[in-house]
Amino acid sequence: MKIAYKSLIAGTTALAGMAFAGTAMAQEPMTIGITQNNVGVDSYQTTYEKAFIEAADADPSVETVVLDAGGDVARQIAQIQDLVQQQVDAIIIWPTNGKAVVPAVRAADKAGIPVVITNSNIAEEGFDFIKSFSGPDNITQGSRSAEIMCDKFKDMGIENEAQIVQISGQPGYTTAIERAKGFEDRLPEVCPNVTLLETQPGDWNREKSQRVMEAFLVKYDDIDGVYAGDDNMGVGALNAAKAAGRDGIIFVGATNFAVGYEAMARGEYWGSIYQSPVDDAKNALATAKAVVNGEDVPFLNYFDTPKITQDNMDQFTKPVF
Amino acid sequence: MTGFVERIRQGEAKGLIARNGIFIAFIAFMIAFGIGSDKFLSFNNLESVVRSSAMIGVMALGVTIVVISGNLDLSVGSMLSFGTVMVVDLHDKIGPGPAILVMMVCVLLLGAVNGFLIGFVRLNSLIVTLGMLSAIQGLTLIYSGGKNVDVNPSTQDTTWFRVFGRGEVAGIDMPIIIFFVLAIIIGFVIAFTPYGRRVYAVGGNPTAAVFSGIRRNRVVFSTYLISAFCVGIAAIILGSRVMGSQNNVGQGYELLVLASVILGGTSLLGGSGSILKTVIGVLILGFIQNGLLLLGYPYFAQWIVTWVVIILAVWLDVAAKRGRLLSPIA
Repeated sequence: MKIAYKSLIAGTTALAGMAFAGTAMAQEPMTIGITQNNVGVDSYQTTYEKAFIEAADADPSVETVVLDAGGDVARQIAQIQDLVQQQVDAIIIWPTNGKAVVPAVRAADKAGIPVVITNSNIAEEGFDFIKSFSGPDNITQGSRSAEIMCDKFKDMGIENEAQIVQISGQPGYTTAIERAKGFEDRLPEVCPNVTLLETQPGDWNREKSQRVMEAFLVKYDDIDGVYAGDDNMGVGALNAAKAAGRDGIIFVGATNFAVGYEAMARGEYWGSIYQSPVDDAKNALATAKAVVNGEDVPFLNYFDTPKITQDNMDQFTKPVF
Repeated sequence: MTGFVERIRQGEAKGLIARNGIFIAFIAFMIAFGIGSDKFLSFNNLESVVRSSAMIGVMALGVTIVVISGNLDLSVGSMLSFGTVMVVDLHDKIGPGPAILVMMVCVLLLGAVNGFLIGFVRLNSLIVTLGMLSAIQGLTLIYSGGKNVDVNPSTQDTTWFRVFGRGEVAGIDMPIIIFFVLAIIIGFVIAFTPYGRRVYAVGGNPTAAVFSGIRRNRVVFSTYLISAFCVGIAAIILGSRVMGSQNNVGQGYELLVLASVILGGTSLLGGSGSILKTVIGVLILGFIQNGLLLLGYPYFAQWIVTWVVIILAVWLDVAAKRGRLLSPIA
């Protein structure tokens, strides 16, 4: 136990040493530290980390310290403190928990190290201590999904009688709440006569979503559209509809997954929102760089997440996740 | 209410409710929901509920055996994630047959680890399987590298692997058939064979069991193999139904499984319980969730009602057995 502890300290010191050496050697490259949420837990985060490292490697003016909290809040707080100790030029945080990291963020800010939040924002009480949030705009994503759905109904000429159901993400998750809100707010504006029959959570889980959709199909004889909080759940709903022999339902998701992209190519799934983890990572790095260089950065620095449908999907490469 | 308590005290209704409490609750629920929603008792819905409960049900069969022998298995949820990710991932690489075989072997090995630690080393089953819950989750992440896995869409409709989740025999969905056939086999083994009696004996009174020449460690070991086997079957059903998987697909299912087993009336103390009870428990839980959804209740109402039902069922069970609503001991 003691040996392990010692080697841990040695490791941390070596890491810090390397970071300093990096700063001193080249023509003053900046050091940016990142602590991620949980790399490896899903393909999005795995791809994000890869893209982040690649983007940083390609940029001679940046040195990085890449850390991963493994989904553990306590570990993330310790990592933030480590990065402060190492006196990096900026810290990027992908919060494991939007509230719990606030005190650590505040400490970093007090130590004079600018903090950029990536992917999902921290709680509002922490806004004073961060320079910028870099990530997707979930509300816009939700409203764009509503527009995709509505446009398709108009094409089909059923915008005045269509009935839809919604399968949302895990209750309590900001992403889930914001996407649902964006969708529910925008739909009545563009298609006032489309009825949202019911919303149930699918917990980001394809199997759960498939079960929820099976119940919807029993409950409602007429469903024209399904909005799912991400494509993974959308494909689960599609599975259920196919099994029940209910054709002609318009499926619209968000965060285009490879399965969703393929289902679109087969003509079974109508559209989604293209959110690239590569863009997400690059945007975070660029935001942090700009902050260090003293450039003006918008507080909410969103990267664009465009609409993707069967009509324009050839402009996008298939997602890797 | 007083009358009810009085009658329980006098033991008049005791036998009836004690034996059939869970059935009575089940029928009452079905009637209540049937009145509330005209779709609830439709054949389509009944089939849909039983089909989606089948996967939880198959896992619950194995866990019932573990619980009867006086232990717990909380690792079934992450084991399901592991098995499903593996069988779906290997499906395109080595073909459905070998994929199923390799997955079953791996899952049984995990079960053997549980069984060894709990049966032969005699560690506490709660701690071992709780640890396995996160260990297997980690294993799944390492195996998949965080990526979702899918059966190639072009083969989804042609592979024979689809039979387990999407096929049907004589109009009845395959998951339902698998669930009931497995329930009959395991139910028979546990109720009518010497092996079954040993499982009850080990759970009821381990010391007495050992003195009567039962090798407790082997029996406990075997129950975890059965549990793992059931998880493997559930993984095949899930993989075939969804034709894809993700790392956390079975997250939280261990609690649904355990809730079904307890709801059926199998005692957590071991030594009593039955497969039939578990089947009823699985169906009740499935119908409650479906019924609340059909009546349009929001999800948090489902969580609360599910909890209330479990508490009521367990309370009813205990109250009927001791003849009082509250514990006689201060």
